[in-house]
Amino acid sequence: MEKFKANFKLSMVFVYILLIFGAIIMIFPFFWMITGAFKTTLEINLFPPVWIPSSFNLDNFKYALQAAPFARYFINSLIAMVGSVSVCTFTTILAAFAFSKLKFPGREVIFTLLLALMMVPFEMLVITNYQTVISWKIYDTVWALIIPFTSSIFYTYILKGFFDSVSDSLYYSARIDGCSNWKYLWRVLVPMAKPSLVTIILLNAISRWNSFLWPMIATINVSNRTLPFGLYAFVNEGGAKTELMLAASTITVLPMIILFLFARKNIVNGVARGGIKG
Amino acid sequence: MKVKIENLVKRFSDNTAVDNFSCEIESGELIALLGPSGCGKSTMLNMLSGILMPTEGKIYFDDDDVTYLAPEKRGVGLVFQNYALYPHMTVLENICFPLEIQKVPKEERIARAKKMAELVHVETMLDRRPGQLSGGQQQRVAIARALVKTPRLLLLDEPLSNLDARLRIEMREEIRRIQQETGVTTIFVTHDQEEAMSISDHIVLMKKAVLQQYAAPQELYDEPMNSFVADFLGNPPINKTFGVMNRGKIVLDGGCEVAYPKAVDLDDGHRVILSMRAEAIVVEGPSEAMAEGVIEQTYVMGKEVLAFVKLGDFSVRAYIPAELQLTKGQTVKLSLKNKGVFVFDEETGERLK
Repeated sequence: MEKFKANFKLSMVFVYILLIFGAIIMIFPFFWMITGAFKTTLEINLFPPVWIPSSFNLDNFKYALQAAPFARYFINSLIAMVGSVSVCTFTTILAAFAFSKLKFPGREVIFTLLLALMMVPFEMLVITNYQTVISWKIYDTVWALIIPFTSSIFYTYILKGFFDSVSDSLYYSARIDGCSNWKYLWRVLVPMAKPSLVTIILLNAISRWNSFLWPMIATINVSNRTLPFGLYAFVNEGGAKTELMLAASTITVLPMIILFLFARKNIVNGVARGGIKG
Repeated sequence: MKVKIENLVKRFSDNTAVDNFSCEIESGELIALLGPSGCGKSTMLNMLSGILMPTEGKIYFDDDDVTYLAPEKRGVGLVFQNYALYPHMTVLENICFPLEIQKVPKEERIARAKKMAELVHVETMLDRRPGQLSGGQQQRVAIARALVKTPRLLLLDEPLSNLDARLRIEMREEIRRIQQETGVTTIFVTHDQEEAMSISDHIVLMKKAVLQQYAAPQELYDEPMNSFVADFLGNPPINKTFGVMNRGKIVLDGGCEVAYPKAVDLDDGHRVILSMRAEAIVVEGPSEAMAEGVIEQTYVMGKEVLAFVKLGDFSVRAYIPAELQLTKGQTVKLSLKNKGVFVFDEETGERLK
């Protein structure tokens, strides 16, 4: 027993060393980014590196915000994210309900075909989406950032999985009481699916906020850029001012870090439950 | 409300779940739909509620033809086996829900729901969620939700099968009480004969999609119309023996002669089933012996002894008074009572005597 305890402790020490090592690898870039955002030009170029900046003033942030319209980028990002996520959530709920609870001919075939579409990489859709955006005459507008992302097979699949798990007896119970499909969906199913929905919304919001490739292709004017693209452009156009880049990066990721801190439990649960990739 | 079912048929693609079913249910009665698993009793219930549409036949509620009426227009309350409570709503919200759909004003809704909660004794847990209730309490809430819109017909699908043994007896009495207090015509599905016998006014006994007998519990037990009904009811199960008629006596397979007076006029050579309830067999009684058998095994049960008696190839259960002190291997004389002994045709299973 004593020996077992000793072994157990030893193995725990080993596990914690590994975990700490992993944590340092994960946290270090964030640490470097945030401290770097406060350093002076001299401090950031020194070797050996300066770990803690000499002063914590916000000059770098001020310069970065003046050098490029980050406030504009931020608002664009926010509009694109809120717009696409809210419409996408709505269409996802409707589609998941239809594929899970309504009976119509070809339901399984249609759903299987839709699922098969998930295998088409996004990079390929970029071409067709680009043509659509051009022909709809919404190129370089905020609509081009919203409309292509107003439905998602993947999230529909996740939510359908939850709806499938709800016993049909609830549906029939409600039907016998005179409840319409529409009312059943919003009064019974959606409130029950709240944890799944929160996960879907968060994951969708994060991926919208971070999306880079499509905004780069679909927008061209400075005033229509989103944060990730704006940051990239700033790095390219602004030269090698590392401390300003780091300040701009901090501004970009801050909302997501705050969102993550608040909704950590939901995100982790969702990823663990559905095996969802981020 | 009276329910009349005429020649109802439900066919699924490759099998018939309900076949040519007819019966009339009187207003205010508690009816048990009884039968082994897969006999079509739940299909029957779903056709009454409107979830399933019949293939042929008619269903009348009083004089209204409701055969193809949408479920919400029938005025039925339905309680599912798994209760189907909405997990995100409180007990009060659950009971209110059917009224909310009917757009009953909020105050009236709550007043009616509270009254119903009192009827089923869940008035102290209105703010709880279904997950915080025991199975029996969930059942009560589900019944309250089904009754709150004052349905013309209450349907319960296997209402007791998810409860443990003690709760089951409590809840079946509760169902009887609630049904009598509200006076609503009620049909419940069960595969447990004891449940059906104990609380219902009439029993609909089904087997393989076909109605076997529709009668009051005692009548079903005393006068089964065929050998399936006799086999299905009673505990211990009825003693079933096979034999052939020979000069007014039944000769059981294995050679034991039974001189059952009621069977005396059956034709020679007719294959029959002789079914005897354990309590209808008298061992070493004062009346004239009808057969002889050998005691195979005895089990002391207190006031009486359960004995297995060998009759031909068959071993039948009989109760013998403890003071008789019979032992294994002893030959005994048996006589049969008039009540609880049935002769069926072996081929059709129909009652002969």
